[in-house]
Amino acid sequence: MLLIAFALVCSAPFAIQAEPTELPPQLQPAPGPATGLSDSAGLRATVFGTPPDAMAPLPAKVPLYEINMTLPWRLPVPEILWFDGKLRVWLSAQKKPAPLAIVISGTGSDGNNKTISVLRAALYGAGYHVLTMPSPTFSGFIVSTSSTGVAGDLMQDGHDLYAAMQQIIAHLPRKVRITDIDLLGFSLGGANAAIVKSIDASEGKLKIHRVVMINPPVSLFSSVGRLDRLFSATIGPGEMGVELLYRRLYAQIANLYRASDRLQLDQNFILSAAAVTLKTDAEFSQAIALTYRLQLVDMFFIGDLYAKTGAVIDPERQPKVGDSLEDIQRDLRAKPFADYFTKVFAPYYLKRRPEATSASLIAANRLDIIADALRSDGDYYAQTNSNDLILNKRELDWLQDTLGSRIIVYDHGGHLGEIGDRQQVADMLDMLAGRWPRSGQ
Amino acid sequence: MKAAVIVSMGLLALGGCASQVVSIRTVPAQTPAADSAAAAAANAAAFADAVAAEAVAAEPAAGSPEVRDGPPAVPLLTPADAPPMYTYDPWERFNRSAYRFNARFDEAIFLPVANTYRRAPRPVRAGVHNFFGNIAEIDSVINYTLQWRLKYGLRSLERLVINSTIGIGGLFDVATKFKLPGTPTGFATTLAKWGMHPGPYLVIPLLGPSTLRDGVGFLADYGAEYGINVAGLYRGNVSWALGPVNAIDQRANIDFRYYSGGSPFEYETIRFLYVRRRLIEDAGLHGKELPKKPAVDAPAGK
Repeated sequence: MLLIAFALVCSAPFAIQAEPTELPPQLQPAPGPATGLSDSAGLRATVFGTPPDAMAPLPAKVPLYEINMTLPWRLPVPEILWFDGKLRVWLSAQKKPAPLAIVISGTGSDGNNKTISVLRAALYGAGYHVLTMPSPTFSGFIVSTSSTGVAGDLMQDGHDLYAAMQQIIAHLPRKVRITDIDLLGFSLGGANAAIVKSIDASEGKLKIHRVVMINPPVSLFSSVGRLDRLFSATIGPGEMGVELLYRRLYAQIANLYRASDRLQLDQNFILSAAAVTLKTDAEFSQAIALTYRLQLVDMFFIGDLYAKTGAVIDPERQPKVGDSLEDIQRDLRAKPFADYFTKVFAPYYLKRRPEATSASLIAANRLDIIADALRSDGDYYAQTNSNDLILNKRELDWLQDTLGSRIIVYDHGGHLGEIGDRQQVADMLDMLAGRWPRSGQ
Repeated sequence: MKAAVIVSMGLLALGGCASQVVSIRTVPAQTPAADSAAAAAANAAAFADAVAAEAVAAEPAAGSPEVRDGPPAVPLLTPADAPPMYTYDPWERFNRSAYRFNARFDEAIFLPVANTYRRAPRPVRAGVHNFFGNIAEIDSVINYTLQWRLKYGLRSLERLVINSTIGIGGLFDVATKFKLPGTPTGFATTLAKWGMHPGPYLVIPLLGPSTLRDGVGFLADYGAEYGINVAGLYRGNVSWALGPVNAIDQRANIDFRYYSGGSPFEYETIRFLYVRRRLIEDAGLHGKELPKKPAVDAPAGK
């Protein structure tokens, strides 16, 4: 009875879209299609990832330590978030001295998901100690590690990450002997990794060597704004459209299950049934937009709880253990990321940074705050795709112009759909080892 | 023996509650190469089933009037048949505290014990798993009969006989190799088969997400096994160990961890998924079994 079909979380059809609220001009999504540079193949790859036959060979066995830490600067943990009080990271250690590769997860994700497991295995197989960390936008990180409780500010999150890394490395078992430290990150984690390196360049506490960003965003808010737009375009503003999406998916999965000769509805079948029903670009877009929206819901909730901004939680009557959160959850699913910015993020940071404006907060969440370092320091590398939906043409051009020969742009994969394929893994390892650009390229 | 087990469980619990700055523990190693091969195979099988099912499901929609040789068409569910997005949960306050208790118990005792168990050699674990699966087969035979799904009941009976004999008391699942795959059922499914609605959502302490109907089904299944008392296991000297070992075996085979997603809304999400999954299984139960004879009088496509 403990059996739980957990798989649907990523494709679960439960979201409500409200009309977008008034946006400051800087938050108006960038022009161009809501799918950025993505094409049909890119959307498909974003949903399904690297096909099994294209995967790089991975080691048979990867040992794993789970590390749970209480960090000294942690803010008081709200009672209803009792389970998020410790930072949880994962370590795969070599038996002999080796360089340490730290991998930072993407938006809203923890340090032990499927994508990160592939990277961990590839890096461990290449002889690295591998430490995988959650994204600073992951609930467990916000509660256990954030010094503000309001996630999404690149510099602030970078400082929190950097401080946490120092604590973790200081507490590693003595038998883990580290010769060098490199950083990797995918999606938002890529931008986080680059920022952490730039912080380390001035503070020098970890002596981080190389950084590889995999499918990084250039402007956080224009990427997420585009995904908001994708949501309202494909799932539709208004409650009816979404209720219909849920009902349609439910009926489809139920019909497929009834027509199959299976006697139990297991996770594989649910996922396959959902996959079979995904046919058009619009349906792939729905799946992607919904996945992002669900990843933002937790961050929005926790930010509002900490900042006491009252966007969805009455600061005077905070929910207690045992209270139903369903209405709050539904309410949040209806809210675009722009609402998080205008109702939680901006009020919180404007109060604490008197010199800041909405526009400056948005500008501070662009990778070009470290443009000089990216341009002049030869230890920053990037891998991305020409059909990545979180980028537009101008942003991709900027990355290529800034990083020069230190970026490789694949012609497939969409967003993160190339992770683990032979070429991506080989290039990533060469970048980390300083063998890039390869001679003859 | 009993005392030793209780003391070590207590120590594990204390270890789980200890609040140190940092805890580092070994968890089962990942096996990416084997996992991706196994996952690819399972996915491919499920995907093939889903594609085949899509073809079958599409048939009545095509509106073909002639009667087929295959199973007669079942009326398709429409989006209007989907249950509302809210879940009936009148006992939410109790359920939430049970959920929290389960999460804490799992993190402090259940999961560490299961992870330790997972270090035992694979054949040993497979033996334990098959053994309990074989005992449960008795209950499946009874319930398939009660559900009047005699084809599957016969299959369970064959499995029981083959695995108890050639499989040496159920330690080896030989029947699966003879193309008789195990598909356990229980009294909850019997109740569903005869039209009982799941009822309110229920989180059972130590067991996890359920509904009133599924909880009753669980009790009945246990009662049946206790009553039959196979080989004196349920009322003999080792009966105290039976439940825990069965539970640990089950836990070790479930890839779920409470709050691994860190989400404040995990209770809502799990409730949503659990109940929808059971409702779809119910729909399958009726859709698969209802039309026993070619439904000539039922217009296709309805």
